[in-house]
Amino acid sequence: MAHIEIDAPGTTQLLLGNEAIARGALEAGIGFATAYPGTPSSEIMGTLAPIAKKMGIYAEWSINEMVAFEAASAASLSNIRALSSMKANGVNVIADFLVNLQMTGIRKGLVLVVCDDPGGMTSSNEQDTRPIAKWLNIPMLEPSTAQECKDMTKRAFELSEELGMVCMVRSVTYLSHTRGNVRFGRLPENKKVAHFDDFYNIDDPRQSRYTCGMQFHPYKQSEELLKRFAKAPEKCENSPFNSYRGPEIPELLIISSGICWTYAIEAVSILGLQDRVGILKLGTTWPLPEGLVARYLNKSDKVLCIEEIEPFVERSVMELAASLPPDQPRPTFYGKRSGHVRAWGEQNLNLAIQSIASVMDIPYTSRQSQDLEYRRAAQAVAQTLPARPLTFCPGCPHRASFWAIKIALQLDGRNGFVTGDIGCTAMGMISPGSFQVRTYYAMGGGVGVAGGFGHLGQFGFQQPVIAVCGDSTFFHASIPGLINGVWNQSNFTLAILDNSATAMTGFQPHPGTGITATGDPGKKVSIEALCRSLGIHVEICDPFDLNTTIATLLTMMRDEGPAQVVILRRECELVRERKEKRNPFRVYVNPERCIGESCGCNRLCTRVFSCPGLVWDRDAGKAVIDEAVCVGCGLCADVCPRGAIVKEAL
Amino acid sequence: MHGKASKELQKEVIDKGLCTLCGGCTGTCPYLVVYDGRIVRLHRCDMSEGQCYHYCPRTYMDMDAISRHIFGAPYGEGEIGSVREVFLARSTDQVIHQKAQDGGIVTTLLSVALAEGMIDGAVETKLDEEKNPHGFIARNREELLECAGVSYEPSPVIQAINRLPNETTEKLGFVGLPCHVACLSKMKLSPPTNRANIEHLEPVIGLFCGWTLSHSFHRFLQEHFDLAKAIKFDIPHHPEHSFDVYTPSGKESVDLDEISPYINKACGYCFDMTAEFADISVGSGRAMFKGWNTVILRTKVGAEILDIAKGRNAIEIQPIPDESLANLKRASLDKKKRALKNIISMTGGVDDLLYLGISQHLKEMLLE
Amino acid sequence: MSAEDLKKEPLNVIIAGVGGQGNVLMSFLIGNALVRRGYVVTVFDNYGASQRLGAVASHIKISKEGLQNSPLLHEGDADVIVGIEPIELLRNLSQFGNPEVIAVANLRPVYPIGVISGEVEYPELDEASAAIRRLSAQAWIINATDEALALGNPIYTNVILMGALIGSGVLPLDVMAMEEVLKEQLPKAFEINKVALHRGVDLVKAG
Repeated sequence: MAHIEIDAPGTTQLLLGNEAIARGALEAGIGFATAYPGTPSSEIMGTLAPIAKKMGIYAEWSINEMVAFEAASAASLSNIRALSSMKANGVNVIADFLVNLQMTGIRKGLVLVVCDDPGGMTSSNEQDTRPIAKWLNIPMLEPSTAQECKDMTKRAFELSEELGMVCMVRSVTYLSHTRGNVRFGRLPENKKVAHFDDFYNIDDPRQSRYTCGMQFHPYKQSEELLKRFAKAPEKCENSPFNSYRGPEIPELLIISSGICWTYAIEAVSILGLQDRVGILKLGTTWPLPEGLVARYLNKSDKVLCIEEIEPFVERSVMELAASLPPDQPRPTFYGKRSGHVRAWGEQNLNLAIQSIASVMDIPYTSRQSQDLEYRRAAQAVAQTLPARPLTFCPGCPHRASFWAIKIALQLDGRNGFVTGDIGCTAMGMISPGSFQVRTYYAMGGGVGVAGGFGHLGQFGFQQPVIAVCGDSTFFHASIPGLINGVWNQSNFTLAILDNSATAMTGFQPHPGTGITATGDPGKKVSIEALCRSLGIHVEICDPFDLNTTIATLLTMMRDEGPAQVVILRRECELVRERKEKRNPFRVYVNPERCIGESCGCNRLCTRVFSCPGLVWDRDAGKAVIDEAVCVGCGLCADVCPRGAIVKEAL
Repeated sequence: MHGKASKELQKEVIDKGLCTLCGGCTGTCPYLVVYDGRIVRLHRCDMSEGQCYHYCPRTYMDMDAISRHIFGAPYGEGEIGSVREVFLARSTDQVIHQKAQDGGIVTTLLSVALAEGMIDGAVETKLDEEKNPHGFIARNREELLECAGVSYEPSPVIQAINRLPNETTEKLGFVGLPCHVACLSKMKLSPPTNRANIEHLEPVIGLFCGWTLSHSFHRFLQEHFDLAKAIKFDIPHHPEHSFDVYTPSGKESVDLDEISPYINKACGYCFDMTAEFADISVGSGRAMFKGWNTVILRTKVGAEILDIAKGRNAIEIQPIPDESLANLKRASLDKKKRALKNIISMTGGVDDLLYLGISQHLKEMLLE
Repeated sequence: MSAEDLKKEPLNVIIAGVGGQGNVLMSFLIGNALVRRGYVVTVFDNYGASQRLGAVASHIKISKEGLQNSPLLHEGDADVIVGIEPIELLRNLSQFGNPEVIAVANLRPVYPIGVISGEVEYPELDEASAAIRRLSAQAWIINATDEALALGNPIYTNVILMGALIGSGVLPLDVMAMEEVLKEQLPKAFEINKVALHRGVDLVKAG
């Protein structure tokens, strides 16, 4: 939607944080960008990919984060600035490579953008990437606004080259997904030439500097790493991204970074404490600008750190305080450790106000408590409003798949269960998927865990296990687990819910789609051919053919043999709808046949099947189709026990 | 009302091992199905009053109320239920004899009723290729013959009734075991909704039953016999001690002791050997009258059909000797006493008889 | 273009709806129009993990100058709330409303799954209307979905409501500003969206 590629220096555009990061990469003159989709990071590649060819950039949706980051490193080693972006969980996937890449260092700027998800609104957890930067001695920049997203990304490339190591930029959901004014800078006119210089030279036979261990003892490489990193603090010391706002001698010093800084600024203003409270904003959260922080620690005897997820800045500042000269007075630290800042979930303005008010020991009267009468009326209304929980989209093939899986497991009757995986299929763990997913951890975790369950037979374990993953997740991390299960003869069924899209994150392509990030044709990788090459039993079912799907699952579960695969294939409804722009069926309820709540149905369609396209008309005591929501998939007609739901082909 | 539905059915019947797999709770709703010898709950139903629970022959049976509805009198204390007449009978139809288990009376009576237009068909049990029993609606003589013979495995035959379209006006006879007949008797006492009119179902012909064999027996059969070739199964009466499978090439037998581990546990709690709420109950003539049926006529409806069959010379009849009748009564009484004993041992006391709604007096009499 | 003074700093807008109703496009168009007029704009589309049918609330904060604001409105601090869906409007009114807030409402429900499954009830539309009026200083309640259907497709609902918002005069934007952005962002569908925009403006002017 936004045009990040326009060459209009000095103009102001409204950009998402993620779009601004992409623009920053353009202004830094990147030649290479890779990513794996993951909320809230996906729009970075989503913005770069469509303009990549025009801008002379190679852009790739990779099969997973590890491969993405490895590929970006290759560009860096060959003198091309490279960007890799991912969500926080992705850093776990690349950790092994990252640790070792730090041992050798890099050549041209390499920036790893990580989007954390405080609160885990669209994630399985709310992990914080900053401790990883500290653990691995990686410089970490934390923007607070869309403008800084752009500026810091650009700066990160310079810093990466100055220090000879990868540099990280950390965003969070509320920054990545917030649009703000961004003033554009120049786009560089650089001619990029790639060459890997450390190839074998017959006259200088030696170990390449881009290798770890062997002649380069790891401890020596660590020493080199620390030397390189030792230059980082002074770079941070003078960074324009660190700033102070407030009185010369504040009663309270707030140290904040990232999006939390905007909460701190507004909270101080709402509390009217601008003359009493100072705010030190850290844009470089690792390493700390120690001199700068120490100077401000000296000015106040109260320090409050406001940040999200880990008390990262808080602990780092306390470490610094411990190393201050003995005659310097120690401030009292407030934050997550003291309980003045909520230690979990995302922060917000209200929480920041509460934190500051409690440390300053001042009362705060919210606007809400001023308008008491209004608030009472509002609360009364709020109580009548039904919540809007997550559900599968109307027409979603996963609704059918989990319906079939549930019935198959019930029929099988041996307390079988589903091990789940990341993506839209994860909704199998809540009501739209009939709570079928019973374990859920990480990309590829479903099949890996299933492989273990499938070996418990010798301990009396007789429960059938169905591992479920989506198509993108299959390619990302499920293949090794499947091969391991086949090799070691583990007894489980892998159901690949192939909707031909990385749907949860916005329909990015993957190897099974045969389309690349830039929309070019790639080699389409066949899931079934790949699985069959393992010499195992592979079936393909349309989940909308409920009876065949149920029968196939039952047969596979009963089979005592090693791992088997069933591909439940039907295109994501949102993708189909975009392509076809019309519904396959006209679906309606024949009220004569609908017995509603009576014994014999008890509203199976609206109460159990729960497609949002079906609505319960309480007054009539019948189900009706909501035509604004129904996409005409017709599955409910097959579920209705009374033939009351009619589907007519269009 | 009982305020119970499928969840309670699961808890009070299925989980306790009382389910006879009659099919009374299946075929009418999407929540319960028969699969692989089990009743399976597919989804959570939150009805406060479920017909599945209500009509189950192993939830509370008010024997007096049912008896009043069918016979016009409270449940008696006789060993074989309400009786108009007991006699021995057999078919005069040789085609039926070839197919039938004993005297061919059931198939003959239904054939006559069909021919006379008294019924449009009959709900029966039929074996599929693999000899799995299932409910079937026979609508002509050929189809009736296809259903002749006995399966010793439980048949969810009531499911076939539950699946009939609401609007059907067909009059159908019914053949089933005591548990099936018990289920139907509950339906007749308080007719179900959203199903076919239960009043259209008569005559109800009950089959004597000591027990059925569980679904795992089917796997035993599959392992020991070529079931596709089997024509008939039989457990001949004392002094024989075998389970016989008839094929075109002859008879194959296994020792009855091999079979007994497969007897449905649920049958140990069954109070009824002679299908006491049927219009006519039919059993074997036993060893003494091989090729004959023992027939208990219980109702006016039953009498009408018998009279017509007799009038058309479709059946021949002889009185039952006192000794045979005494044996029948003793066997039936033994089953009642055994059921009561098992029930009490499950509930831990004489005050809770699970489903069995009998009078205090009868209970005391049986416990003596 | 230099921005005019705002009646309040920052001026806070929420657009509430359900995934698939066009919240994000609407906040994007309004945000862009404001940036063109020289304002500092902060837009956060709060849509969680759902592709379709989840609750969506776009928070827009408008300042004459200065830095980007924090992404979410403070509770009770909205100046105008647009509801593409009635209970989403009420949900946001009850959290972000105040006695001075202005409401622009579309009265077409999209039922949540709990209503469909019968666990909870959807408020009667008369009650919802009354509650919207009770919780706002001024409310424009229109049936934008029906108006959009009259134009041939329910997807115009959001642009009709955008017209209504512009027509209400709460934002420092006129119809011309929106037309410019529509032309730039939706060149192929400009004409019909222009009609939808004006329809929304007229509905507010009329009533």
